[in-house]
Amino acid sequence: MNEQQRLIKESLDRLLSDLCSKTTIDKAEKGEFPGELWHALADTGLVLAGLPEDLGGAGGDLADSLFVVREAAKFAAPVPLAEHFLAAVLWSGRGETVREGIMTFAEGDFRLSDNDQLSGTAPAVAFGRWSDTVTLIATRNNEDFLCGVPISEFRVEEANNIAGEPRDALSINLVLNKSQYLGGEPIKRKAYLIGAATRVALMAGALESILEMSVVYSTERVQFGKPIAKFQAIQQQLATMAGEVAASLRAAQSLETKFESMTELEVAIGKSRVGEAVGICTDIAHQVHGAMGYTMEHSLNQRTRRLWAWREEYGSEQEWEIAIGQFFSGNASEKLWDQVTFLN
Amino acid sequence: MFQGLTFEPFALPPEAEALRSEVREFLADSLDASVLPNSDFNAGDSAEFSRALGKKGWIGITWPKIYGGLEKSFFERYVITEELLAAGAPVGCHWIADRQTGPLFLKFGTEKQRQEFLPQIIRGECFFSIGMSEPDTGSDLASIKSTAMKTEGGWVLNGSKIWTSYAHTNHYMVALVRTEPASENRHAGMSQFIVDLGNENVSVTGIKNLSGEEDFNQVFFDDVFIPDDMVVGKPGNGWEQVISELGYERSGPERFLSAFRVLVEFSREISEDADAYQLALLGRLMAHLVTLRRMSISVAGMLEQGDMPITEAALIKDLGNTYERLVPEVVRLANLKNPSSRFIDTLNQCILHAPSFTLRGGTREILKGVIARGLGLR
Ligand SMILES: Cc1cc2nc3c(=O)[nH]c(=O)nc-3n(C[C@H](O)[C@H](O)[C@H](O)COP(=O)(O)OP(=O)(O)OC[C@H]3O[C@@H](n4cnc5c(N)ncnc54)[C@H](O)[C@@H]3O)c2cc1C
Repeated sequence: MNEQQRLIKESLDRLLSDLCSKTTIDKAEKGEFPGELWHALADTGLVLAGLPEDLGGAGGDLADSLFVVREAAKFAAPVPLAEHFLAAVLWSGRGETVREGIMTFAEGDFRLSDNDQLSGTAPAVAFGRWSDTVTLIATRNNEDFLCGVPISEFRVEEANNIAGEPRDALSINLVLNKSQYLGGEPIKRKAYLIGAATRVALMAGALESILEMSVVYSTERVQFGKPIAKFQAIQQQLATMAGEVAASLRAAQSLETKFESMTELEVAIGKSRVGEAVGICTDIAHQVHGAMGYTMEHSLNQRTRRLWAWREEYGSEQEWEIAIGQFFSGNASEKLWDQVTFLN
Repeated sequence: MFQGLTFEPFALPPEAEALRSEVREFLADSLDASVLPNSDFNAGDSAEFSRALGKKGWIGITWPKIYGGLEKSFFERYVITEELLAAGAPVGCHWIADRQTGPLFLKFGTEKQRQEFLPQIIRGECFFSIGMSEPDTGSDLASIKSTAMKTEGGWVLNGSKIWTSYAHTNHYMVALVRTEPASENRHAGMSQFIVDLGNENVSVTGIKNLSGEEDFNQVFFDDVFIPDDMVVGKPGNGWEQVISELGYERSGPERFLSAFRVLVEFSREISEDADAYQLALLGRLMAHLVTLRRMSISVAGMLEQGDMPITEAALIKDLGNTYERLVPEVVRLANLKNPSSRFIDTLNQCILHAPSFTLRGGTREILKGVIARGLGLR
């Protein structure tokens, strides 16, 4: 953590401790947009951390944006930080000023016709109904077009993931004006990669948080006359979890520090490694928490349900493992090690 | 307050990467192509190879120049060790002296010991064994029974050590023994001695492991006289000294690369024509490997800054050993149509060595105990 990140973490912790209570999250899961929380994040500039100032961002390093996403995930913040950032990065990457309001990104299948008719659907757009504008990539004759369209132009079918986060089906059929799209650069795959990178950050943050919750709970819960933390079986499980969490954090940090030069392979390694940790860690966290952790009343589930949802988004472990396998098997095997050492 | 365990990213500096190419050239010239490479640091030894490595200055590379070292960083040492393992070089002879005996002498040894042993170790001419385990002492190291009694000008050593890797070929052992009877404070009253394995009152009996090799031994001490100047550090300070080695002992690439040659052979098998299932198996294992390596480099960075990251090292070893054991279990399910005998031999060698990965250097359970302590649970 550098000095800039320490400052970000401090203000984020303060803000989220105040405004992102268990009740806030519960209400969001019932459909109430946490406006106060979002506006506080927007006012402090945290929602645009790392984006260039001259394009409306808060300045700093793009690594900071993923860091914000990771830290906010510790609180299970029910706001579209990841999507807002993804959209902002795509626009600012093209030299465009970041739009006002809440942005989301629609990963889907969109076409732009020769007369600028945008049509297509996205099955599960994060926080779609709460956004002001939707960023998406449409294609025309194999060319990618970055499009920004007000949410009011879409047909929105509301749906939630298992964490109660809005994942709305969006569809559209609309003639765009020239100011609403930008061609000339292949960007669809890049958007998918950044989307996956945000999931790595989200998962790593939530994993760190459930480790902390589990450690703390184990020192407080007393059975057989002592804190369950004193039982070796519990210690060994938490130690296993600590290893998975440490690996996940290291993988997430790698993507953060390499954000500007992020490759397909780096994202694949992060998404598959951290995705694998989710199964192991949620298993242990719930085991340690006993029946209490299996209730809506306890806040553990606000993290674990999100982890189960996020590991499915932007490609499961297997999708990325195949990509990694392709990268490494294509090389002569004596080059295998060579390839590993290129990855600092 | 809960403290998580983090491994801040460190990038290997350019001089370490430059050294990597040199090491590769050296390995290309000096490895015996008729020997099947094995990345397990305990699975191959060649005094000749270690001497050649010493000539290059690549043993004890971080040590002071006055003893013949090059005063290079832990990153450079890291690069050398990982290159040797990845290539499956026979590193068994010098591994322990380079990894922990040298650092032990630098921290606790007398000037005379440093002058006598470090230059020889650096030249790849003097090899050390670890003498900790005994027939009745494994994980509970404080329960050792071997003793040394004070006598005129030295000590008289009796007892036995077991599982001592390469005691049959190495020159010395650093033995941890009781110099005072066990007391209330279990960790008091132990001392470390440099034992000449060629001493006529020391006998060494080989023990066959699962693959039929005899690379570990039982060592018997029968009134072995140890002169005073072969005591390492202060008599009675043995426990503290042994603990101080753990950061070096547990965090290096040998804790996750033991099965690496299996991956090399597996990727060779599927290089022409791989199905999605096989690719996913390889991909999963590579994602783990890259992440572990980054964590281990982070620890090299901590060592370079002068920290002694005992909990972090235990965590890497546990995670890495679990991974090393996972590799053959995953690869065997790849449904290869016509696996080559080279692949099968490499996989079988790994399967036969795998049980040792989570035992040597501290068992899985003991490591998890160390991590749990780091988490504040005990
Ligand atoms: C290939 C190889 C090379 C080795 N080389 C050397 C060497 O050069 N020098 C040397 O000194 N030693 C060496 N060892 C020995 C190694 O250090 C020991 O195997 C290790 O410390 C464990 O001791 P043990 O085998 O006696 O098992 P034990 O300690 O008897 O343990 C048996 C099982 O009980 C578990 N257990 C023990 N205590 C606890 C506890 N408190 N809580 C929970 N579970 C527990 C262990 O985790 C293990 O699963 C080597 C071992 C191997 C396999």
